Amino acid sequence: MTAAAAPERPSTPLSYSGNDDDFLRMLFKGSLLLIPTFGFYRFWLITKIRQHLWAGTQIEGESLEYTGTAKEILIGFLIALAILVPIYIVYFAISIVLGEKTPFANIPLFGILYVLARFGAYRARRYQVSRTIFRGIRFWMTGSGWGYAFRAILCDIPVLLTLGLAYPWTAAFLERYKMRHTYFGSLQGDFAGTGSALFQRVWWLWLLGVTGAAVLGLTIWGVTHLDPKDQAGMIFLITLFAILCVSFLSAAFLAVRSRWLIEGIRFADVALSSNLRKRNMVWLYVKAMFWFLTVALVFLAASVIFAMTKMLGLSGAQAGFGWASFVAIVISIIGYLTFVITLGIVHRYFLTRGLWALVTGSIAAANLDALEQVVAAGGPSGSLGEGLADALDFGGGL
Amino acid sequence: MGLAVFYDGKTARRRVVSLVVTTASLDLYEDGETIASWPCNQVRQHPAAPGVLRLGPENPNSLARLDVTDAGDQAEVFRNCLFLTTGARKESTGRIVFWSLAATASLIVSAYVLVPILAEKAAPLVPVSVEKQIGAAVDKQIQFILGEKTCNAPAGAAALAKLSSRLSSVSPSKIAPEIQVISSKIPNAIALPGGRIYLFKGLLDKADNVDAIAGVLAHEIGHVRHRDSLRRLMQTSGTSFLLGLLFGDVTGSGAIILATRMMMDGAYSRDAERQADENAIAAMLALGRSPRPMGLLLSEIDKGENGPIPSMLSSHPLTTERLETFSKRTPTKEGEPLLSNEEWTALKGICEVKEP
Ligand SMILES: [Zn+2]
Repeated sequence: MTAAAAPERPSTPLSYSGNDDDFLRMLFKGSLLLIPTFGFYRFWLITKIRQHLWAGTQIEGESLEYTGTAKEILIGFLIALAILVPIYIVYFAISIVLGEKTPFANIPLFGILYVLARFGAYRARRYQVSRTIFRGIRFWMTGSGWGYAFRAILCDIPVLLTLGLAYPWTAAFLERYKMRHTYFGSLQGDFAGTGSALFQRVWWLWLLGVTGAAVLGLTIWGVTHLDPKDQAGMIFLITLFAILCVSFLSAAFLAVRSRWLIEGIRFADVALSSNLRKRNMVWLYVKAMFWFLTVALVFLAASVIFAMTKMLGLSGAQAGFGWASFVAIVISIIGYLTFVITLGIVHRYFLTRGLWALVTGSIAAANLDALEQVVAAGGPSGSLGEGLADALDFGGGL
Repeated sequence: MGLAVFYDGKTARRRVVSLVVTTASLDLYEDGETIASWPCNQVRQHPAAPGVLRLGPENPNSLARLDVTDAGDQAEVFRNCLFLTTGARKESTGRIVFWSLAATASLIVSAYVLVPILAEKAAPLVPVSVEKQIGAAVDKQIQFILGEKTCNAPAGAAALAKLSSRLSSVSPSKIAPEIQVISSKIPNAIALPGGRIYLFKGLLDKADNVDAIAGVLAHEIGHVRHRDSLRRLMQTSGTSFLLGLLFGDVTGSGAIILATRMMMDGAYSRDAERQADENAIAAMLALGRSPRPMGLLLSEIDKGENGPIPSMLSSHPLTTERLETFSKRTPTKEGEPLLSNEEWTALKGICEVKEP
């Protein structure tokens, strides 16, 4: 089963030693550069972040190394555009020609994007894994993106039908597919985690979630029958409460799932264990939420003040209308960009770097001696998946 | 001379080696034997944990790595190896900014220069049946945006049909115009791809004779004949699609919405407008009616409105020159009125639904 390292095996803790100040400096500089480059700098920022995180991760004093380059993922993005844009154009043309006869005209497009998203996710993983170097040996992957997409979509059916209860088993199945196609040089990976083991650890979260959703539904139903005057306040409170619950549940779930994923990883005799605590993950999410809300409130206040001064300014000087509105538009655009970029900084600091450091610090590896026999094998994979991930905007955070 | 950790890139075996840094090369010894010698100018730096200097050979395919932790050795390496950050790893921020700006500029130029040219060339190639389908899709959007009802009180609809057939008889079009009155208070008239023309009730209210309305409709029929709406739709969707790319909207869903909105507020080109004016004047003259009332109606709207300028006027405000063009052309022989007084009254009341 998911037996952690037996006590007599020598077990080495992993550590995360990345410098926080360096990371923040890089994050702020890179985020600012997103403005004059119209967002193109994100490929460089993502690459730098990965280099930093990989280099900060140490196993027996040896750090990982990320060898991907920004140019590779930029090219992947351009290829993804070359695939997606014709799809959209053809789809648009078809939907016009078919016209009103097809009320569900959007379904095939969503279907295509759904498959592409799964395909891209696998290929993005292949790219990242094959850019990871440890002890002068490359990690690499085989397996087909389409094969994975096919399996992943088949797996979604039971998950949907059971409201998520089947998830542990499908996750174990897909993770096994990924890990068995993952190699460290000549050493093939495997996944030892089982669906029932995950189920035993998460069923109560599922129960809480379903109950919460039911209670929420009932409350909303109740509120709609309330006096309209009281509704606004109630809706605000309910939304806030729902957000808090969802954050807590997802943080707890993420903690349990990460631990299960890590403890299932095998490379021959090398096994990982993790002592990741739910409360640490929840605390990380609380910090992230706090900063998200603070940033949102600050910008909300700023835009209210701005709107008020704009109104006063305009009624005062009608003559300068052209200039005033131009300046107002420029200020609004800059304000909006700053807002989006600040949210990105919070996200990357807490949910990318913070999460990485938390998870890495919880891991211990057993039987690392087995690595001594490994010889180099495999090669780097293409970056199309990364490009698709970016263009379709899933998992583009890291 | 100090100790360093070496991986040869072929096996994962960790080897502790003695490192000797000379001005020419980094020499690695294991148990007194040389195992590698890297020329200084071919050594490159790789990202590593804080305090560790990770080196590798110039060839990016080689994964041989040397981790130097000794501060003295690190200083020696920095002194002797001058190309540590040369090559693919070194990308200046200035270049990235420059190329991003260049890419953005080329996108903008394509959006505003290339797309109109393409639309101009491609519009005549679109089959009429396809244009009709595009028109139906746009029509749905427009009705959704306007949220207004079309008017069809029977007597008014009959008058409109008569007016429409008289105009069509002198202004033949491959795409049959299909005129409808819409109950909006804005004084405006728009032509959609596929031949549908919306005459806004606000314009009908402002007109005090049928010739003014007939002129406006003949102008819109001119747009239908020359497929100006299709051309403009293709152009605005292309332009907004490219600009949407810039803001990360790959789906172009924003572009479609923007393009249909532009059908209402956007402007045709000056040439298209002049052509439509010519069509209106020619049609009116052929019917033996003066185009002057249309000019007067437009100038009245131009003066009277302080809200958003209707699309009929937004492309080029009604210049005195344009008004003159309408005024100076008079029919050689006066024709019979386009509608009787009763029919004209019925048309004006097309939006009045009788209470049962
Ligand atoms: Zn016009």
